[in-house]
Amino acid sequence: MKVGDVFSYAFGAIRLRKLRAGLTTLGVVIGIAAIVALLSISQGLQTTITDQLQSGFATDTLIVSPGSGGGIFSGVRGGIGGSSSDFSLVVTDTQIINEIGNVVTSAAVIQEVGYVQSGDRNVTAYVVGVDFGVYSEIYGGTFVAESGEIVPNPENGTVVVGKRISDPWKNGTIVCSVNDTVEIIWTNTTVRPPTNETYSFTVAAVLEEVGGLSLTGPSDSAVYIPIQQAQSIFGTDECDRIIVKIANEDSATIDAVSKAIEDAFSGQVSVTSSTAVLSIISRVFSTIELFLAGIAAISLLVAGVGIMNIMIVSLMERTREIGILKALGMKSRTVLAIFISEAVIVGLMGAIFGIGLGWVLANVAARVFTGGGFAAATGQGASSGGFVITPVLTPTVLLGAFGFGIAVSVIFAIYPAWRASKLKPVDALRYE
Amino acid sequence: MAAPIVETAELRKTYILGKVPVNALCGVNLKVEKGDFIAILGPSGSGKSTLINMIGALDKPTEGKVLINGVDVSTLNDNQLADLRRSIGFVFQFFNLIPRLSARGNVELTLAIADLGKTERRKRAEELLETVGLKERMNHKPAELSGGERQRVAIARALANNPRFLLMDEPTGNIDSKTAKEIMDLVKQLNEDKGVTIIMITHDQHLATQAKRIVKMLDGTIIKEIDQR
Repeated sequence: MKVGDVFSYAFGAIRLRKLRAGLTTLGVVIGIAAIVALLSISQGLQTTITDQLQSGFATDTLIVSPGSGGGIFSGVRGGIGGSSSDFSLVVTDTQIINEIGNVVTSAAVIQEVGYVQSGDRNVTAYVVGVDFGVYSEIYGGTFVAESGEIVPNPENGTVVVGKRISDPWKNGTIVCSVNDTVEIIWTNTTVRPPTNETYSFTVAAVLEEVGGLSLTGPSDSAVYIPIQQAQSIFGTDECDRIIVKIANEDSATIDAVSKAIEDAFSGQVSVTSSTAVLSIISRVFSTIELFLAGIAAISLLVAGVGIMNIMIVSLMERTREIGILKALGMKSRTVLAIFISEAVIVGLMGAIFGIGLGWVLANVAARVFTGGGFAAATGQGASSGGFVITPVLTPTVLLGAFGFGIAVSVIFAIYPAWRASKLKPVDALRYE
Repeated sequence: MAAPIVETAELRKTYILGKVPVNALCGVNLKVEKGDFIAILGPSGSGKSTLINMIGALDKPTEGKVLINGVDVSTLNDNQLADLRRSIGFVFQFFNLIPRLSARGNVELTLAIADLGKTERRKRAEELLETVGLKERMNHKPAELSGGERQRVAIARALANNPRFLLMDEPTGNIDSKTAKEIMDLVKQLNEDKGVTIIMITHDQHLATQAKRIVKMLDGTIIKEIDQR
């Protein structure tokens, strides 16, 4: 029997039992929809995070932090994690780094946690000392004034504030804006007892909103002061990290420069590239995706068992039909093909509708996350910026879901189909 | 002389019903020549259905041989058996049509199994249904047809692949006597005008007299053969 005839016969048999076929297909639809929805949400989340990281910390930068371990994440916390090493980076170490080939420039960063006080309002902030000129060269895309102006060599007492310091509650209640005088309060713990020190600054600029996740680059929750003043306020030449801008983003360049910097400090520093961080994040996401896909796959397996169950029942009902087909001279493998085709049709429909439903669910869920729950949950402190997840349906997921849906249907149909094909015509015809 | 179209030699079949072996056939020797019309007559349980299932390659003998055109059926594999069945036309007492297919669909299915193309299939199915007098009703499903009409569809289907012979298991057993006569006229006509070889089971003495030969069976053996030509 020709393939087309096998399929049209199988399709006719399915059409005869619409409700049953519909429910069987529904199982596949749910399984596929779960896979598509979970994966496209998590890939969308990954894209969002990656994009924000890229805009927040420029992919042509390296971060040098003291200590042979720890990396940037200890740097973010103001060197707490990296303090196990006796070695410290100092502000003038930028000169050593700038000598290295393929390094465009570098900026030392001194970071502490303090408060910004304006009138009776008070906001927690990272107080970051940087060379404004170099820093804005490195972070040309994010260290940008929304209002006011960032001058390369400012006078002491000049501060650039992040968007969330100016407008912490995103509702127009402005703590400070350009030309306001604010007080920065820092708790000096190097003296006993620790004392609060207060300094006056004039706001020179408010930064444009950077976005949710900025691990090392400009942050919405930081205030930036000239590095010389940071050195004198915090009473140290030590810096938390040095940001290095390199000539290009080739992994060869990144590796060579990283190696050169490590050698220049006798292995006492760790150099992290943002590309490396991105690859760590994508590895984490791959694991999460695998896990989510695994959960969704279980529901698809349940659907597969459903298919098998239904096919065995319908095999009983159709025993006589199979007997007739065999008496008419149909080969066993054609009987097998008919039953497998029915599963292929169920799998195909399930995959098509499942992908559609999954995509709809992903978009609905993304809207819910973006509108409320998720943004609020991650909205503490630094990352309350616009967090928009756009579900991403990659061709891999699309084809994978398609193939998996059909494969599960067919695999679970093999046994019933095989049993159907092995029926003896005389027994099948006698079956009531 | 050419080999008989069907020949059985010492054909035996034993079923196990529960734990008791039942000898359905106890050494049947039968020869059917091309163009024959044989009626196998006997009460129920005489083994006539078992015999016809063996001849139609639907079942395998316990002992003995079935030769079709001189070929021993027991030597054939699954695929060859399917091919053989395609060259045999079956007509069953309970019609055994596929309920969801129309009269034409049922005939076309048989042709599709034999790998015939779509347009040829349709043309041939329509011709066959016209032959059995169902041209007007060919788009109806079995449930919309009377018993007699259903059996005509079954005959059209059995003839579809130009079979070597027709096997009919009580073809009129489920039809009223008037329609039964029409069916029998059609069968006789097929035998006489078109030379179709027919082996028919019946328990009706009167119907059996229409055949060229009567084979009487009882308790799994042939007790009498009557040549009526």
